[in-house]
Amino acid sequence: MIIAAWICLVAPLAAALLITLLGTGISRRAAAYVATSSVLGSFAAALVVLAKLWGESPEQRSHPSTVWEWLTAGTFHVGLRILVDPLSVFMMLVVSGVGFLIVAYSIGYMDGDDEERRYFAYMALFVFSMLALVQAGNYVILLVGWGLVGLSSYLLIGFWHERPAAIAAAKKAFVMNALGDATMALAFFVLIQHRHSLNFPDAFSIGPGHGWLVNLVALGLLGGAVAKSAQLPLQTWLPDAMEGPTPVSALIHAATMVTAGVYLIVRTHAVFEHAPRVQELAAGLGAGTLLMAGLIALVQTDIKRVIAYSTMSQIGYMFLGAGLGAYANAEFHLLTHAFFKALLFLAAGLVIHALAGEQDIRRMGGVGRLMPMTRITFLIGSLALVGIPPFAGFFSKDSIIASSLGRGWYGDLLFTAVLAGTFLTGLYAFRLFFIVFPGEPSPFVREHLMRGSHAHGQEGAHGEDGASQTHGHDVHEHAGEGPFSMTAPVLVLAVLSVIGGWLQFAPLWHPVSNWLEPVARPLAEPTNTQEAVASLLAFLLGLAGIAVATLMYGTHRLAVPRWAFGQRVLEHKFYFDELYDVVFFRPAVGLARLFLRGFEEPFVRGSVGGVAESFRDLGLLTRRLQTGLVRTYALAIAASLAVLTIVFVAVR
Amino acid sequence: MGNVVVWAVWVVAAFSCIASGIAVVSFTNPFYSALALIGNLASLAVLYLLLSAEFVAAAQVLVYAGAVMVMFLFVTAYLGGRADAPWAGGPSWQAVGAVTAAAAILVEVIVVIGLKAGGRLSHEASIDSGFGSPHRIGRLFLTNHLLAFEITSVVLLVAAVGAVILGAHSRASHPLEDAR
Amino acid sequence: MSGPAVSWYLAVAAFLFATGALGVLLRRSPLIILLSLEIMLNGANLALIAFSRHYGESSGQIFALAVMAVAASEVVVGLGLIVAIARRRIDLDVDKLSTLRG
Repeated sequence: MIIAAWICLVAPLAAALLITLLGTGISRRAAAYVATSSVLGSFAAALVVLAKLWGESPEQRSHPSTVWEWLTAGTFHVGLRILVDPLSVFMMLVVSGVGFLIVAYSIGYMDGDDEERRYFAYMALFVFSMLALVQAGNYVILLVGWGLVGLSSYLLIGFWHERPAAIAAAKKAFVMNALGDATMALAFFVLIQHRHSLNFPDAFSIGPGHGWLVNLVALGLLGGAVAKSAQLPLQTWLPDAMEGPTPVSALIHAATMVTAGVYLIVRTHAVFEHAPRVQELAAGLGAGTLLMAGLIALVQTDIKRVIAYSTMSQIGYMFLGAGLGAYANAEFHLLTHAFFKALLFLAAGLVIHALAGEQDIRRMGGVGRLMPMTRITFLIGSLALVGIPPFAGFFSKDSIIASSLGRGWYGDLLFTAVLAGTFLTGLYAFRLFFIVFPGEPSPFVREHLMRGSHAHGQEGAHGEDGASQTHGHDVHEHAGEGPFSMTAPVLVLAVLSVIGGWLQFAPLWHPVSNWLEPVARPLAEPTNTQEAVASLLAFLLGLAGIAVATLMYGTHRLAVPRWAFGQRVLEHKFYFDELYDVVFFRPAVGLARLFLRGFEEPFVRGSVGGVAESFRDLGLLTRRLQTGLVRTYALAIAASLAVLTIVFVAVR
Repeated sequence: MGNVVVWAVWVVAAFSCIASGIAVVSFTNPFYSALALIGNLASLAVLYLLLSAEFVAAAQVLVYAGAVMVMFLFVTAYLGGRADAPWAGGPSWQAVGAVTAAAAILVEVIVVIGLKAGGRLSHEASIDSGFGSPHRIGRLFLTNHLLAFEITSVVLLVAAVGAVILGAHSRASHPLEDAR
Repeated sequence: MSGPAVSWYLAVAAFLFATGALGVLLRRSPLIILLSLEIMLNGANLALIAFSRHYGESSGQIFALAVMAVAASEVVVGLGLIVAIARRRIDLDVDKLSTLRG
């Protein structure tokens, strides 16, 4: 079992290295297959681990495995250590399973791109990093995985590196994540100092006796989680990260990487439980993000950005759940969210691919007429998102909503926020659906989908700009909605979005909670009444949202009063980018300029340059001796003769 | 009585030596300078005779005045007017430095010799009649100072070869060279 | 027969040497410089012969002869150079021959 766990971890890394080392020695297709099969191998290995772990009794299900003692400093040991327990296996399955589907989808999506091998190497690297993160047995390996997913995200967002927008987005994501990494590192330092260990069971027993120290550690960890999961206040990088290819957005910025923050909180819940204020803060941040993202999604015109804000909002749900102590529920929602969010992204990818890179929904319309399968799957994904039974989202979301009941005034506040969020979810999700899919095909759509063959632009070109590459697709593949490698994963995810929720129906059967119980016992179990109330309210509000959306954007297109101020605020994403620009960026630039002028130029450049210049001047001075005149040289000889005579005589 | 003659001869020779030396350095026309040098060489030969270096004196007249100066005069004649050069020029500190250096050397030499070697310079050694004769010189060249002899002959050979090359080379690269 | 002591000859030699040095340092024509160089060498020769007489050592005269031979060779080469320069129609002015200027 341990070997299977290691194989699960290492297989994608091996694939990434292989693709990198072979370079142009293998064909692009072969690189794609190598990457995909390695992730499939990880999934298979994860299944093996699951099977083995199932056979054991719940108390036994914790197996650390250290391969190499990396650092030793007195009593402090850090090793290359993984932990096989219910939580890590759960995450391994999600990451490798959904990862496999998405990497398989990429075979078709990225077909024809010149740098396809680089893409698949990066994807394999990412899967490895994420697996390292979830399988880590101590904070150090977790941090390694954490940093590597940040790196993979940077590499993949900026994959089309000729586009300045992509590069800027990649840098933004990386820098904001670095902030989270810094706070996490500080938390680790405190842990090292007080517990002399970063291994997982040991580091958790920081205990209530340390007071403000525990709060510090929890805050540091929360900072990292907030940055990685794009929650308030570090959320601005996620929408920009949509500059990457759609499968990247699906895998990294929907299904897996952004959920790493939730995983962190669940894994280290012991620390958070000793710092209840911080845990409440996490829930509050989740609720705030939930609402904010839902509102902003209402005015977005880029199909991927709507789904990105939706992701932000749903992760807010998970943070809420984890913040309230409903760990299994949060993890369950992570699972179902992975299914339907990946589905939404991949289906959107089908549309984008068919429309030659167009992502602006105002130019789309009536796509459903020409891409019926995509329409159905997108609809399934949207329904799952809103939480309509019997689709997946219903079962997972409502448990979280229920956990906020009966928790005092703060819980009631969160409850209200969550319900409002559900209404917004219905509204923006179906706004998107109605704008893009039903009705008469718009002229743009007609032009692209009704022709038999056409050139494909690079995705992300908002409109047709000059930087397009032609892909070599077969003509007949476009009479349909996409190649098999693209439609098959979408169909699989659609099925999962329908049945995935049936894994746990809180009052009646809860295998997920049972599975995760040894690792993360929830702080409070909602009663059946609370569950029923929450479910009903959520369902009704979701339906209300859908209804309003139908009225506004459906066949009737009711006119709605416009509120210009609100519109502007939402379009500027609550002015966070501008705020950060003024508060952080400009002062930093000013400070840098100050240092440049005040210190760098006079001292550093002056000293180094000054030394060089003084040597040059010395050389120029010495150069004057070389007059080229024989007589000068002769004079020099005569003069030295005169001087030397005196010297010799004096010495004797 | 012979003493006075010796002194008289010495004075004349020394004076002409110094005068012709100054003349060599001062004349603008190189032809005159060369002629002055011949005078210098002749006076030197007289001085050598006074110092019982007969062979050297003869060699001085034959080699120096006879061969070297002839060469000089040939070249001066070949160059004609081109050999005339302004007296001096260039950086002014050059002239000042030159005079200072030369004067310093002169003074130093005299002072040094006067101070250091004054005592030892008073007693002349006695010499025999064969001192300075070709016989004596020849024997020394072939016994004690054979190496010097051989090396000097090599130097002369090298110089001769060098001169031929210098002369031939310029002729090869400028086939239409004429006197002007 | 006795005559002036060695020191008188040495004084003349020193004077010749200094005069020749002055000529080398001050004149601009290579030809004159060569001539001044000859003066210097002769001054040295005189000193050698004078000391040779003073100590009764004939080695001084040998040395003087060697100096003479070397002076002759040097003049040969020097004049060859001057002729070569003149053939190339370059001014015979050492101040102008300064292509080695750094």
